[in-house]
Formats: sequence, C-alpha cells, structure tokens
Amino acid sequence: MTLSRWLRHETILAVLTIIALIVLAILSDKFFTTENLLNQGRLMSEVGLVALAMTFVIVTGGIDLSVGSILGLTAILLGVFWKNVGLPLPAAIVLAVACGTFAGWVNGFIITRFRVPPLIATLATLALYRGLAEGISEARSVRGYPEWFFFFGQGEVLGVPFQLWILGIATVIAAVILGLTPFGRATYAIGANETAARFSGIRVNATKLWIYAAAGFLSALAAVIFVSRVTTTRSDMGTGLELDVITGVVLGGTSIFGGRGTIIGTVLGLILIQALKNGLALSGVKGDGTIVVIGLVLIGAILAGALFDKNRGG
Amino acid sequence: MGSGTQSAPSQEGHAATAEAAPSYPIELRGISKSFAGIKVVSNVNFDIKPGEVHALMGENGAGKSTVIKIMAGLHQADEGEIRVNGKAVRFASPRDAHHAGIATVHQELLLFPELTVAENIFLGQTPKTSLGTIDWAAMRSRARQLLNSLDSHDLDIDQKVGNLSVGNRQRIEIARALAQDARVLVMDEPTAALAEADVQRLMTIVRNLRARGVAIVYVSHRMPEIFALADRVTVLRDGQHVATKPVSEVDEAKLVAMMVGRSIDRLYPAKQGKNGDVALELRNVSHGTAVRDISLSLRRGEILGLAGLVGSGRTETALTIFGITPATAGEIRVDGKVEAINSPEMARDLGIAYIPEDRGQQGLIKAQSIEDNIALANLKRLMRGWFVDVAQVTAEARNAITRFGIRARGPEQLVRQLSGGNQQKVVLGKWLATNPRILIMDEPTRGIDVGAKAEIHQLMRKLAGEGMAILMISSELPEVLGMSDRVLVMGGGRILAEFASEDATAEAVGAAMTSSTIKEIAA
Repeated sequence: MTLSRWLRHETILAVLTIIALIVLAILSDKFFTTENLLNQGRLMSEVGLVALAMTFVIVTGGIDLSVGSILGLTAILLGVFWKNVGLPLPAAIVLAVACGTFAGWVNGFIITRFRVPPLIATLATLALYRGLAEGISEARSVRGYPEWFFFFGQGEVLGVPFQLWILGIATVIAAVILGLTPFGRATYAIGANETAARFSGIRVNATKLWIYAAAGFLSALAAVIFVSRVTTTRSDMGTGLELDVITGVVLGGTSIFGGRGTIIGTVLGLILIQALKNGLALSGVKGDGTIVVIGLVLIGAILAGALFDKNRGG
Repeated sequence: MGSGTQSAPSQEGHAATAEAAPSYPIELRGISKSFAGIKVVSNVNFDIKPGEVHALMGENGAGKSTVIKIMAGLHQADEGEIRVNGKAVRFASPRDAHHAGIATVHQELLLFPELTVAENIFLGQTPKTSLGTIDWAAMRSRARQLLNSLDSHDLDIDQKVGNLSVGNRQRIEIARALAQDARVLVMDEPTAALAEADVQRLMTIVRNLRARGVAIVYVSHRMPEIFALADRVTVLRDGQHVATKPVSEVDEAKLVAMMVGRSIDRLYPAKQGKNGDVALELRNVSHGTAVRDISLSLRRGEILGLAGLVGSGRTETALTIFGITPATAGEIRVDGKVEAINSPEMARDLGIAYIPEDRGQQGLIKAQSIEDNIALANLKRLMRGWFVDVAQVTAEARNAITRFGIRARGPEQLVRQLSGGNQQKVVLGKWLATNPRILIMDEPTRGIDVGAKAEIHQLMRKLAGEGMAILMISSELPEVLGMSDRVLVMGGGRILAEFASEDATAEAVGAAMTSSTIKEIAA
C-alpha cells in the first residue's frame, strides 16, 4: 500500500548509508568502534530531536527556521531562571521547556491565525527569539551547574548515552504518530492539499498549532541536553541548527512541498550526515571537504529520488 | 456493439495502402499505451485530413486524453505508428510534435498571466532583430494580424493575460498555435469552461480555421457542437476504437450508444417514497454580502434544487451550512435543533456532507490513493484504539469501489490517475461513508460523461428514497428540472423564487434566474 510507495526513497538512502559506513570503516580504523559510534549518537541527538518535529512541519508543507533560536532562548532562560531568579534547577528546567514550547506555539499561531507563510513567520521569530536570548543574557554565560544535571548530556544508561535513549523513544513515538494515527493522516493531507483536508473536516489549524508547538518543545528539550553536555549556557547556542535539521529531513526524502516524508527517512538522513562528518574527519579530510561531500550526497539523493518518482509514471 | 466493424485499415490492410495513402497531416495506426501495466489505449486508429473537423468522443476514461497526449508528444505510444504526411515519425517530446505542425489547446490553458497577449503568443518563437534582440514591432504587428484573423479585433495585445476572460485566453492559445504554423490543431474540451456567447464565437473561429485548411481534432462531450461542427467522429470506449463515421451517418442516440456500449435511459429517475420530517432549516441566514437573509427548509427524502447564475450565492450558501464560512446572522437548525456550525468538522459530525464544486481542489487529494481519500473524512470511525485501522480503511474503499462502480485497479490507486467521473465517485464514496443525513451536492455532474451522470442521478434518487435530504446546486437547467422535487432560484445572495416541481418549467425558472440579475444591476 502507500507505505511501500513512500519507502522507495528510504530504501535508496538505507543502501547509501550502509555503503558510506563500510567505506568509512575501511578508510579509518577508529570509525567503526562502539565508542566512536555511541559518541556520534550523542552528538546527533540534539539535531535529531528537532528533526523529528521538523519532519511533521515539512510534511504539512511548512518550515520552521526558528528552531535554533528557540534552542538558544530556552538555554538562556534555563540559566537565568536558575541563577538569577533563584528557582530550583528542576523547576527552572520545566519552566524553560514550557517557554520554548510556547515559542513554537506562537509560530503556529502567527501562521494559522494571520495566514503568514511559515517561511516568513519563522524567519521573523528566528530573529526575535535570538534577539530575546541575547538581550536576556546580556552576553554573559551561565556556569556552575550541579553535578547531577550533567547526566542528561553526558550520562549513560546500560552503556548507551542518556540522550540517545531519549532520541530513540522520541523517534518511535514520532514514527507511530505520523505513520499510524489520524493525526499523522491529517498531517499528510494538509501537506498534499490543505483545502481538501479542510473540506474533509480535518482540523487544519489545530493540527498545525500542535506541530509547531511540538517543534518548540523538542527544540527546548534539545536545549536542556545541549546545556548539560557542554556544561555552560550561552546565547548563541543553536545558531544555524535549523539548516542541519532541514538538511537531514530533506535528505531523508521528505518533500519540501509537503505531503510526503517519513520518520525512518529522517533518521537515515541524520545518520548518513553524521557518519560522513565524523568518518571523513577521522580519515583526514579537512572540514571544507566534508561539507562538499555532504552537499554532493544531498544532491545525489534528491536526484535519485526524483528519478524514481518519474519512473512511477502517472 | 459496432466494435471492429469500422476500425478501418486493419493490420493486413495498412501495409498495402501505405504507398497510395493520401497525405494526412497526422495519422495514428494501431496505437497502444499502458500505464503501470494497465492498457489505457489499445490499437487505436485515427487520421485527419486538411480542412476537416474530426471529433473525438468517449466517456471519461475512454482514452481520449491519452490519444491527444500521444499526438502532442507528451506521451509516447508503446505500440503502433504515428505518420505525418505519410512518413512515420516519433515524437519524443512536445517540441517534436510542434515541429511536425501539431499544436494543442489544452483544457487547462497554459499561458503566463504576467506576460502580455503578444508575448504569450510568441513565447519561445519570438521574432528577432538582426542584433538578436526581440523585434517588438514585428511581434506586435504579427500578433495583431493573427488575432484579427481570429475575429478578435477587440483584444488588446498589450494587456496582461491574467486579466482576461477564459474565452479570450483560449483565443490567445489558438493564435499561439497558428503562430507556430500549425497544420493540426487539437482542442481538448474547448467549450467546457466557456459562457454561451464565447462558445458561439469559438465555433465561428473553428469554421474559419477549417476553411483555411487547418485540420482540427475536436474533443467534446457536448452533442450540439459535434453536430454543428464535425465532419467525422471517432468514438473510443475503454481505450478501444469503436468506430469512425461521417457525422451525417449518426445521430445523438447512436453516438451515446457507441460511447456507453448500451443505450442510456435519458429520463431522470422518478421520485420514490414520501418526504419526511424537516432535516435542515435555515432562518434568515447571512454571511457578509454573499449570503443574504436565506430561509429554507429541506425534508428527508426530498431533493431541493438550487438554481441560479454563477455568482448568485448558491455555493456560498452551501459553504455557510457546511461551516467553511460560518453564518454571521440567522440560525441553522438540524433536525429541529439550533446549531452554530462553525467548522466542516462540526457539520460532518451533525450528519451534513458537502460534495464540493471544485473536485480537484476541494474534493480530493489527488496525489493520494483512493483509500486514503475515502478515509480522510472518516478517520474517527476507522480507528482501532489510537491507531488508524488500515485493514478497515482498505475494506471501506473496496466497498465504495463496488458500490459506486469506480473503475480503478484497486484501493491503492492514486486518485489523480482516475477519470473525472470516477474521481467524483470517490468524493461521493468518501462522504457517503460518513453516513450523512443531509447531503449537499454542488454541481454533482459537472464535467462528467453521460454514463456516469445517469448513474449519479440514479444514486441520488435512491438515497432520497432511503430518507436522505439532498440539496442540489446545479447550473444545468435540465438537471435542476429533472431531479428536483422543489426548485429555489437564487440571485445576488438571496432567494428570489420558489417553484414546486410541477410548476418548474424551463421558461419559468430561466426567467426567474435572469430577471434577478437585471434587478441586481438596476439596484
């Protein structure tokens, strides 16, 4: 049925990822070690969490450029609530995550209520949230978090980094929601033809609000993990995150025009990018070279996808 | 019936006649084409002489569009041969077809709204000066000439195309084809979107072109045009070539029988059963200026026809009932209870279904499958726990496919691959699966062939007989008169007149429709 149709791109991507892993393993003996792979998983988690929500956003035909700024804002609020306001750290975390979620909801509100194109709305909030973060922080970083807090970003459970568990659970939840629930159906329908979705009694605006709020929530969650991993809070955290996230999602086969995409694809896209970054660095390729390779892979994957699309006919 | 009898030069014949064949500007021999393993066109023969209008007819899904697209170079035939002036050719792209002198005026006009009339006519073949820049003077004067030759002296060549009516844009497309020196002009349902005056004008243009020796392939559902224009007619059914005959040898009944493969009962089905309780009642409902002070009541088992000209407020009234544009004043009662319907979701949950006017944009998600489309309005029901019950979704779609006779490979076929009539049946399937008690149908048979149309009319009667309350909007007067138990005429957002079925004559309803516009203009 429909799943098999969408999996076509994912199959190519899976093959590509496996080839990349094998080549990289041959190029460097440090690449294919448990330690390195788990560490890469740790580094991938923040982008990965945001990419899950971004998949939903892009499937509806939207985009969210403000995720990096929401991450930065949440990180700053976390530090300020704890250090300056004097809240207990757990309360500060909860409150900061709530603020990040609200920031995402505001995106959704602007987009649905005032019919502003998502690109424009989130371009504006990209600047707005980053500006707020910088204003609130007054360019000072927050340090000195208690030891237990570092568990989120540096701890391990059963030998696997803590945030990788979070990413894994979030991935399963996202995949189930997008693939199996009425909410997922509504998401695809909105992206493929918003008018027809509305005329079919789908709650278009409510669905979008949930999705943008979820993008805010996962960006905020990523912020907590990020702060915990690097032990400090700075206002420029997450700058440019949106591009890494969107790259992963699009490489994963989600159509930028909406209506198509899967969580599995996004995860594969993220793994491929992270593996290339790390593997090429280990093999002695310079930073610029890595970026070039990632660019080429992205173009290649999209061309391959388009080719299959064409052959399908219609 | 009749199949094969007339499918002239068959395999053995055509090798022998090839030498002596008259020079046809285009000739198809034994053309077949499959999509994803399904043969949509099978062994079709078609030819056209200079200065001839050759009509191509068939129900939706009969393969007309595919044949046209093969001639235009958009599709490549799997089998068979295309000949231009007796020489076998291959069209790898629309460009090749252009070079062979074949131009197509598609149903969706492919013009650039931001460019001027002259620019559109010469796009891709702009006259150049010796310096290689655009020769504006030559372009404008040639554009003027071309339009004059099409009796369109009134068309301003410097105007942006986006501001023009459909009829004018179509004339520009034709001028564009002539600018390419087309010897064959393929017109795909050219009158489907035209007002009556424009239809007349188009027919004059077609006659002029024929007199100038252009060969015209004319695709249309409309019988009067076929008999007024065509010299020969070719009928396709299920992708097969049924017959090619001079128009003088056929009549309407014969053509319909050839298209459908059986004779169609052209009578509208009779009313079954009696009207029940009032299902839907509007009291002084308004929405802005589009819907003004509408009061009506609709009973179970009743088909209420809403007649009126385009823009008279009929669709707007339907959208207000359905919660897309909620009422700003007045009250809507469903089964006697006042309901503030403010979303389609709420309307659906109250048992109201709306089959929209614009099938492609509002009714369906064309890029998705039949089953996904049918499930979309029924997600709450098609669940197991928190999840969509995929097996039940497929079962529901199979059920709709058999119940409405949807011609498709199966529930997973994409809706965009279906013909117009079958797409409409998917929309019906989607909404009837919600078990509505009130069904609003906006132009239920627009752009649908005779066979599917009769089926939809039968279905409407059957549903009404089972107690469904149906509100039907239609711009086709015969349909309004034939199907409705009662007719309301709208104009300027108001209800202007009401007719019981026995008083609703074409003259009376037509007069009410047009008098309204005069009043509106005077007011």
